[in-house]
Amino acid sequence: MQKLTPPSAVRWLLGCVLALAMSGALQAAEGVKTPPFERVQLSNGTVLMLLEQRDVPLISFEARVLGGARLDPENRYGTANLLAGLFEKGAGERDALAFAQTVASVGGSIQTNASTESISITGSFLSRDRKLMVELLADMLQRPTLAESELQALRARRIEFIRAAKDSDLSALTSIYGAAALFADHPYGNPVFGSEASLAGIDARDIRSFYESHVGGDRLIIAVAGDFKAAEMKKLLSSAFGKWRKAGSALPPIVAPKKITSRRVLLVDAPDSVQSYFWMGNVGVARSDPRRAALDIVNTVFGGRFTSMLNTELRIRTGLSYGARSGFDRLAQPGHWEMSSFTRSEATIEAIDLAFATLDKLHEGALDPAALDSSKQYVLGQFPLGLETASQWASQLATLEQYGLGPRYIDEYADALSRVALDDTNKVINDVFPSSSEVLLVVIGKATTLKDALAKFGPITEMRLADEEWGKP
Amino acid sequence: MSRRLLLGLLLIVSSAGAQVPGADRVQAVTLENGMRIILWPDRDIPNVALYNWVRVGSRNEVPGITGLAHFFEHMMFNGTSTSAPGDFDKILEANGARNNAYTSSDVTVYQDWFPSASMQTVFELEADRLRNLSFDPKIIESERGVVHSERRLGVDDSHFGRLQEQVQATAFLAHPYGIPTIGWPSDIESWSLDDLKTFYKTYYAPNNVTMVLVGDFDPKTVIELARKNFESIAPQPEPEPIRTKEPEQTGERRVSIVAEAQTPLLQFAYHGIAGADPRKPALELLARILTDGDASRLHRVLVEEQKLAISADSYIEAGFDPGIVWFMLSLPAGGDLARAEAVFGSQIDKVISSGVTEMELDRARNQALADFWRGLTTINGKAQALGTYAVLQGGHERLFDAPKAYERVTREDIQKVATELLKPTNRTVGILSAASGASSGEEG
Repeated sequence: MQKLTPPSAVRWLLGCVLALAMSGALQAAEGVKTPPFERVQLSNGTVLMLLEQRDVPLISFEARVLGGARLDPENRYGTANLLAGLFEKGAGERDALAFAQTVASVGGSIQTNASTESISITGSFLSRDRKLMVELLADMLQRPTLAESELQALRARRIEFIRAAKDSDLSALTSIYGAAALFADHPYGNPVFGSEASLAGIDARDIRSFYESHVGGDRLIIAVAGDFKAAEMKKLLSSAFGKWRKAGSALPPIVAPKKITSRRVLLVDAPDSVQSYFWMGNVGVARSDPRRAALDIVNTVFGGRFTSMLNTELRIRTGLSYGARSGFDRLAQPGHWEMSSFTRSEATIEAIDLAFATLDKLHEGALDPAALDSSKQYVLGQFPLGLETASQWASQLATLEQYGLGPRYIDEYADALSRVALDDTNKVINDVFPSSSEVLLVVIGKATTLKDALAKFGPITEMRLADEEWGKP
Repeated sequence: MSRRLLLGLLLIVSSAGAQVPGADRVQAVTLENGMRIILWPDRDIPNVALYNWVRVGSRNEVPGITGLAHFFEHMMFNGTSTSAPGDFDKILEANGARNNAYTSSDVTVYQDWFPSASMQTVFELEADRLRNLSFDPKIIESERGVVHSERRLGVDDSHFGRLQEQVQATAFLAHPYGIPTIGWPSDIESWSLDDLKTFYKTYYAPNNVTMVLVGDFDPKTVIELARKNFESIAPQPEPEPIRTKEPEQTGERRVSIVAEAQTPLLQFAYHGIAGADPRKPALELLARILTDGDASRLHRVLVEEQKLAISADSYIEAGFDPGIVWFMLSLPAGGDLARAEAVFGSQIDKVISSGVTEMELDRARNQALADFWRGLTTINGKAQALGTYAVLQGGHERLFDAPKAYERVTREDIQKVATELLKPTNRTVGILSAASGASSGEEG
């Protein structure tokens, strides 16, 4: 393999700037602490988190209802996400049009979404419209219309969105196939958006039943950040949410998914594609994993930044791909760790071999002291950019509460990073990062030309891109 | 990885608000070699966003070298006479910095996000690549592969990208805005080392660059540092202006693609305005009235009421020269392209004949104002907005006048700009339809 060896003058420069930055990035990141905020729990269980930040005249919020797509009924994947979408399609006294007009008329913004473990409503309003903001949020959660006609229209559109997605950037789809196959029967494999087939089966009773069982005050976190007075906001939210009913059932516990212990292949036939899009993954770590800092440092070196090992091999050195990356999905229990890339169809096997060889190299001890230091500086230096705005803080606070983490998760991160030693990184490489013989490999591409050659990676399951599901049983 | 993301068409939906906190702290200086520097200190977080705007894009290309501005953007990370390929990224990352870049028809923009303590290193590296860029033939070849993969991702394997490229090329007969920023495949395979060298000397001159910095710094210190690092780079003659003006379009043009598609697409490209055109605020508000949010006209009629489309979007390209006003519809599988086109046309006719309501105008104004504030919540958003106004829209100060500009827009202005621009003879219509026998999907 070609190794880039900088001329000595530059190596000297590199040494100097590293020494200089040591203090800089750490100092900077250590300066970013969770600002004072107020946490209040209402008698029905709803948690309010209020953080005043008067930079621009905006208020951002994030409301999370715990549960999410992991609670979708079997064969009804997409239920939580469809319900989230319907929250905007008529609530309280307003029908869908009146609701949209009201939000737009004050320049407000509202997004609804589901993820594996929650339904979320996020948005921002000008400070002057804070009462309206609380009213709309309360209406959406407590008094959604859930009209049959809106359900039918939204469901039909969502099915078409999936078809449209299959006509565009296929790299966005590999992880949906990957999670469905990797987690199999475990709810972490539920496709959050649903599939063409599962959406078609969802009716008004499914939506109503999910709403009654899994949405309620005891499942709710509302984080608000921005230009407001905490005392007033607390009063508004308490009176709007304090008397809301609890969810019909308690939040079901979730067990840890099992790692896979051999290699297998899912081949998704996309006969017209000119590139192959591939993904490799196995079960990773939970949100609360105490090895977080070491894991972030290793993943940054491996596939989390431009000069990462993966991007260096697949893009910089060989020109095989526009990009290659890796990352964790951190949930209450371990979610997936993944790496992914794409390349022209003819180079598919070469690129997959190279990705596996790069993972092997990580296990052979590729992290040296310079890589450790550089990765630390990078993570430290970029950390404050995620803690800048009111909407970022609202989201961070909601996450802290959802996973029971507390502000130390943010405030002590810089310290934790600076303490990570090579022993720690070697240990997490060994314990957490899968070996190349223990991953699920997903390839979306031309099956006729790929199938025989892919057999060397393990037993193959085949699907077609046009199939109306993601492979989740 | 979105690095060096190609933004063939770039829209900044920034509007402006009355009193922007800290706007009075914005400073601009011009170095002796003509390099312009704009600074906005903002101490919310201990970081800095640097946007270096080079006034070159696919607009400066000709057949044979299409895609070169974008390819050049990739090469700016690949070594100088004093540092090896890859060092730029390695040193920046080891100093806590991330970088990226994008190319449009008009500009190439280089971005760094870093802890303020790394300012000096960032300046040294940025100056080095403006002064000493070198080209390793081996790297040129591997980078061709990267760009080709980027093209396959965004164009060849994306029906939306394929159609947009064809519509853009059809809308312009003469002006280089018809060139796809990613480049035609045969040109990606063909450009040469000499092309790169000429390009560098012509366009990567300090007098063709505007650097915007927003974040945690003392402006005086940064100006000194800029003088030290950049002022000695020699200026070059001003690049030749783009002489070609697109002749007025006098009849609708159509382009179609037949593909193994599940969902058909419909795109409308109207010749529009340049970034400094005083009609811009009115046009932006018009686009919001038509497509911004579930209450907008096209969304209501095409998506919610008649269910002819699954989405209706717009964006405005407004750079150095008059660009395109885009409207894009995605249709459901088996959707009726002719009816969708007819209903779209009747909605546009309605704006031209009857205008918009006061309520719609108010709503669009409020949306523009709130989005202006949202755009200014980050050092990154501020750097993008300042640079856009400085380079493409007649001066960075105009960023802060934008709220008043929206206030001044009347219903008559909106009807007038719709009448002037959104006439059928001024548009290109693009249609992507499913090949017969392609899976059209069954309604669920």
